[in-house]
Amino acid sequence: MNGFATALFALIAVLYSLSGALYLAFLARGTESLGKNATYVLTGAAVAHVVFLVLDFAREAVVFGDIHQALAVGSLLVAVAYLGTVWLGGSRISATSKLQVLGAFVTPITLLFFLGAGFRRGVEVSDEVRSVMLPVHIGVNVLGIAAFALAFGVSIAYVVQERQLRQKKLGGLFQRLPSLDTLDKLGFRMVIVGFPLLTLGVVTGTLWAVRLDPDAPPIGPTQTMGLVEWALFAAVLLLRAVAGWRGRRAALGTMLGFLVACAVLFGYVLRG
Amino acid sequence: MSDVFLLGISHKSSPVALREKLAVPAGEMEAHLKQLSEHAGLEEALLVSTCNRVELYGVAPDAHGAAKARAWLESRAEPGEVATHLYAQRGSEAVRHAFRVASSLDSMVVGEPQILGQVKEAYARASSAGVLGSVLDRCFTKAFAVAKKVRTETGIASGTVSVSSIACDLAGKIFEELRGKRVLLVGAGKMGESAAKHLAKQGAKLFVLNRSRDRAVELAAACGGEPRSLNELVSELAMADIAICSTSSERFVITTDLMKEVARARKYRTLFLIDIAVPRDVDPRVGEMENVFLYDVDDLKKVADENLAARRKEADLAEKIVEREVAEFEAWRRQQNVKPLIVGLRAHVRAVMAAEIERSLPRLGGDAAANKETLDRAIDAATNKLLHPVIAEIKKAADDGRAQLLDEAPRLFGLDLSSVREAAKDAAQPRTSAPGEARAPAKTSSGR
Repeated sequence: MNGFATALFALIAVLYSLSGALYLAFLARGTESLGKNATYVLTGAAVAHVVFLVLDFAREAVVFGDIHQALAVGSLLVAVAYLGTVWLGGSRISATSKLQVLGAFVTPITLLFFLGAGFRRGVEVSDEVRSVMLPVHIGVNVLGIAAFALAFGVSIAYVVQERQLRQKKLGGLFQRLPSLDTLDKLGFRMVIVGFPLLTLGVVTGTLWAVRLDPDAPPIGPTQTMGLVEWALFAAVLLLRAVAGWRGRRAALGTMLGFLVACAVLFGYVLRG
Repeated sequence: MSDVFLLGISHKSSPVALREKLAVPAGEMEAHLKQLSEHAGLEEALLVSTCNRVELYGVAPDAHGAAKARAWLESRAEPGEVATHLYAQRGSEAVRHAFRVASSLDSMVVGEPQILGQVKEAYARASSAGVLGSVLDRCFTKAFAVAKKVRTETGIASGTVSVSSIACDLAGKIFEELRGKRVLLVGAGKMGESAAKHLAKQGAKLFVLNRSRDRAVELAAACGGEPRSLNELVSELAMADIAICSTSSERFVITTDLMKEVARARKYRTLFLIDIAVPRDVDPRVGEMENVFLYDVDDLKKVADENLAARRKEADLAEKIVEREVAEFEAWRRQQNVKPLIVGLRAHVRAVMAAEIERSLPRLGGDAAANKETLDRAIDAATNKLLHPVIAEIKKAADDGRAQLLDEAPRLFGLDLSSVREAAKDAAQPRTSAPGEARAPAKTSSGR
């Protein structure tokens, strides 16, 4: 990254942090203006993020060339998907402020992904690794992980809300979070969106790896984790449909699935 | 100077029996207001009459008006019965009280929403009786704005405080949309019935289960639900989203064994159990089951108490808003009070100048007489320029409460207060004279 790009990167990280802090303050205190300002700051961060990506793609000349770009795009998608839900869906699903509360769970994920995008950046991807399959593989995985990240945020909110209801703590936090039903449905929808993308990601990844080196062992530790992730999300969906696993169980399954997804990502980031 | 006064009794100062005696039925309100205004010589009047308070707000030119109004109120009960319970306030105290009442700060349940509607009704009645003037009109429109501000800017109305509406709120926090949800009402307790009606109002489907078929039919008709036999409890529970239990049974009606049987059929769908029965109908261990949320009457009462405590805390914030608005209203009142003085002074100065010009006209040559309009404008401009610093000082004195300056200001122009008021009244009437035609200047204090 050159000087300007580094400065822009730092600015975006600061904006995401600020927005996350405002959302957390909103969650804790419930002052409407905090939530609104958090959303404005997040919107500003997303716009700066778009500029950052456009410059980055122009410089690298390859879209989805490596895991860092993928994370940079993924974090933007998480932010944009969340903002879209708040701006467009706010009035339809529930009160906007109720959904705004979810920013406290979603923004930290965006920030982590974005910081991950900057970690050990500049590792060259050798030409032989590059192929047409790579951008597709990374692209679908990024979309999938963005959906799972949102599902994760919503699931945390579900678990918190369910706990409050069970312990009969019906204070401000309970009032500010959306209803259990809304959280359960939102989380489920996100997994439904993410799962086919993840499946496509696994398939393209396997094809690409086989083509790259047909003699290599078909599966390494990161790939194994990837399959565990796939199996977990498949189980979340299957058990919901067949055995009626919903609510807390579904939320915990989703959270576990996302944590495994993060481990997979972490593995790729470390390898560069 | 006319001032706002308040005479009243409320749930804080008097027993209900006395409030009943003083209460004015809605249908007779306008007639009473007219009669009272005439009898006591009030410039304005407004009567708030609810089960918790009877309050008369009035504007009278002097202290006699308030005294007569007090006598009128006292005459509605036995002699000497009202005096010890009646509170009387004047000026900013009365205005503050009006703002506090409209904002539900003086209500029995702080933050309850009905009082604002009742005060608005009182305002409408006073308005249609023709006894509302600029002061009370402004006072009460302001009171409504203050009430709205208090509701939106503080949490005074947040969190319901009745057991049945808390149950409803909780259902909303679990299911979001209550339309089409299946609600079971098991047993015939009063509180359960009220909660069920609340839920039905929001579009939930109601099923009434009772040991006696006749009672079930009767209750179902009253709540707008469908009757079911208590023998159908297991199959109904398997389909239900919410169940309200209020039977008089000595043993648990919903046991863990029964719920285990139901849970499988429900496929872990969320169930909200509200147990308002004493002794309890639902085994407390049922509340530990997955996706089952159990609240008993103590839980709900605890929430009610917490909400009430939270409202009281918010009331402190609301009092500050009221205080700010009272100060603003009082500033407006002070400016209103000096209005006649300003208008009177202006009319006097203008009239003196116009008279002098009029007198000089025949002696002026050229087309001076033909340009009366220009002369008129010149007189207006000169009046404004001359009086600008004086008026600015008067307004400032009103804001600072310097009454002495206000009393003496007319004398600087050789006028007394009453002649200034008269001049103001004259000036308030539409001009009928031709432009430039001089009107007689106000009488001066020297009698010139």
